[in-house]
Amino acid sequence: MNKKFFSSPIILILPSILAISFVIIIPLIFSFYTSFTSYKLTRPDSLFDFVGLRNYERLIDNAKFWYAFGRTILFLAIVLNLELLFGLGIALLINKITWGQRTLRTIMMFPMMFSPILVGFQWKYIFNDNIGLLNNFLYLFGYESAIPWLIDKYLAMGSIMVAEIWANTSIFAILLLAGLLGIPRDPIEAARVDGCNSWQVFKNITLPFLMPFVFIALTIRSLDVGRAYDIVHIMTGGGPAMRTELIWTMIARIGYKDANMGYANAMSYVSIILSIAFTYYFFTKLVAARRDLGQQQ
Amino acid sequence: MKLFKSILTVLSILSFPFSAFAVDTSFPNDKVTIWGDFSGITLDVKLIGGAPYDPLYEEMIPVWEEKTGGKVSILSKKSHFELDKEIKQDIAAGNISYCVVSNHTSFATQYGDIYRDLNGIVPGDYLAEFVPLVLDHSTVEGRLVQLPQHSDVSNLWYIKSIYNDAENKKRFKAEYGYDLAPPETLEQWKEQSIFWSDPPNFYGTQYVGKEEAITGRFYELVIAEGGALFDDEWRPTFNDEAGQRALQWFVDLYDAKAVPAGVLNYLWDETGLGFASGTVALNLDWGGWGAYFNSADSKIGGDVGLVRFPMGSGGKRGGWSGSHTYSILNGCPEENLEAAASLIWILTNHEAQMHEARGGKLPTMTRVWDDIASEMDAEGNAFMSNLFSTFKASMAEDAFTPPLIPEWIPFSNIIFPELQAAIVGDKTVKEALDAAAKETDYLMQDAGYY
Repeated sequence: MNKKFFSSPIILILPSILAISFVIIIPLIFSFYTSFTSYKLTRPDSLFDFVGLRNYERLIDNAKFWYAFGRTILFLAIVLNLELLFGLGIALLINKITWGQRTLRTIMMFPMMFSPILVGFQWKYIFNDNIGLLNNFLYLFGYESAIPWLIDKYLAMGSIMVAEIWANTSIFAILLLAGLLGIPRDPIEAARVDGCNSWQVFKNITLPFLMPFVFIALTIRSLDVGRAYDIVHIMTGGGPAMRTELIWTMIARIGYKDANMGYANAMSYVSIILSIAFTYYFFTKLVAARRDLGQQQ
Repeated sequence: MKLFKSILTVLSILSFPFSAFAVDTSFPNDKVTIWGDFSGITLDVKLIGGAPYDPLYEEMIPVWEEKTGGKVSILSKKSHFELDKEIKQDIAAGNISYCVVSNHTSFATQYGDIYRDLNGIVPGDYLAEFVPLVLDHSTVEGRLVQLPQHSDVSNLWYIKSIYNDAENKKRFKAEYGYDLAPPETLEQWKEQSIFWSDPPNFYGTQYVGKEEAITGRFYELVIAEGGALFDDEWRPTFNDEAGQRALQWFVDLYDAKAVPAGVLNYLWDETGLGFASGTVALNLDWGGWGAYFNSADSKIGGDVGLVRFPMGSGGKRGGWSGSHTYSILNGCPEENLEAAASLIWILTNHEAQMHEARGGKLPTMTRVWDDIASEMDAEGNAFMSNLFSTFKASMAEDAFTPPLIPEWIPFSNIIFPELQAAIVGDKTVKEALDAAAKETDYLMQDAGYY
């Protein structure tokens, strides 16, 4: 048994197992354990104050949490779809360019190079109702009312979406452009010879080839957007009156500002369901898309 | 044109030197000095950073290193809200072995017993130089856990020229029946704010509208209205009539469009920038902005007046106050304590406080209040003289800290979304305060107060 255990393959993968254990598994187990305690960051001894399911029971009754949960799903759905549409559009346009494509690809990636905090500050000042650039720009054209971009029930969420989409659409564009560059030319040319118009070529050939890339991009971005924090925190802090509160702004406030880490971790584990659900859905779709292309292993 | 003005305003604040005054490194007016030979000692520190704070470090820390031979290693420098989160993580991780850390009287109670008692580490004759009330606010459970650098309290800034305009005076008298003068009461403040408003070009007033900032503003209005946040047993009482009057004041201003529509997303930078852009008549703010408001970088430079915080119906003025401080951690090795005390001394001493006060920050040392006033009088700087006499009166007569309990920040996180909900009309004043009181009741029960 021992001889088998210490065989070469096991020894060779042992460093990876240890690294993954220390970096992922142990912190996960630890944080899961703390979700059953009254752990407060400022009282390390509370780590051993086991409270059973109390944190989970409380959050089931916490209407504010479920509103934030629902708002996060809405945010995810709208942002992902718009980023996909814009990213696809940009990728198709750049794919058509025969001169200066590299330069445009680089320029397109500029928003990704800014830290989310900087993006948040930038858009916060653009949307500021008093000294912000957008309202003052509108005044130039005779508009005479200060639009409360970051306050209004609908506009506030929309403003954050604009910032998120501005910063990250290029991720979709890059991934989809990679897909477009990899599409074989023969089927497209054959379709054109058969009399297909551009829309038919796009719908029946380009898009099916592109779908695996679409679902990979959606999976990556759904995990990213599901964890949206920095931009929201800077632009509105989840307010006013929790109108823009997403799961992670709420969890960060409870975990760090209130130092109530046990409760915050319980919220995190419920929130992970969202990420798992989106990832599962997109991976199922990815497998289906690959099957359609006859690429399944 | 207004668009370009806005851009220029933003750029000017980014480049504005909060403190461009030199220090006298011979420290001629410091009766107590804490020097020593600290060669070979490196002090690990975490500091509050940003434009209002960095100039002092840039002036003083090199002087300290040169004169003592010690070294300062700044492990972290960030806003106090970010530093607060970092300290909490440090406590959780048991990583609190650095020596000196920026602190605040409103935050200090949260962190348990991680700080050393400065009595015995900092000489008593140096402590005697500080305003006793401020030292009292720096004390937690009988231990002096922090030494104050400067204090905050807010007063009402206004644009002088609009108050001196004869046509404005005539119109105001006709409409409200009394002479136009900077407000003395909360009611006058509200009326005048509505009178001045001409949105979106000009607003009557503004307030910091989120997080602990609006909690503090509400708190001081509750006091001014004769109420209290808690009773003697720490049960919430802010949803009584005084609390409702206080919140109604914010709601009325918002409904009348007398404040910018985005006010609930404003913190100190936004209100300071807004007032300096000349688009707000009355601005409640601390003294630290004073020099900037009246400078050539501000659109209202030379046209700025200042009066005490107006009185509420309870016969009191607002005076939510706190102090930026420095603490020494328990984890600081014994052999570094003298050096740590010396570093805190150079950041809080007479020379440092005079340096800060020239920009409008409020001193915590009794003697500096007199010395800065004399210096400004001698320079014929009537604006800064008025600033210090006004804020001195506020610190002496109006200032009060938030409840110095660990639950202050969690309480603030409960109440501020409810205050905002009432202001934007999602809830009535009563509904919002009752909801906050109910949740606060759970918080205080869980914390074992009753």
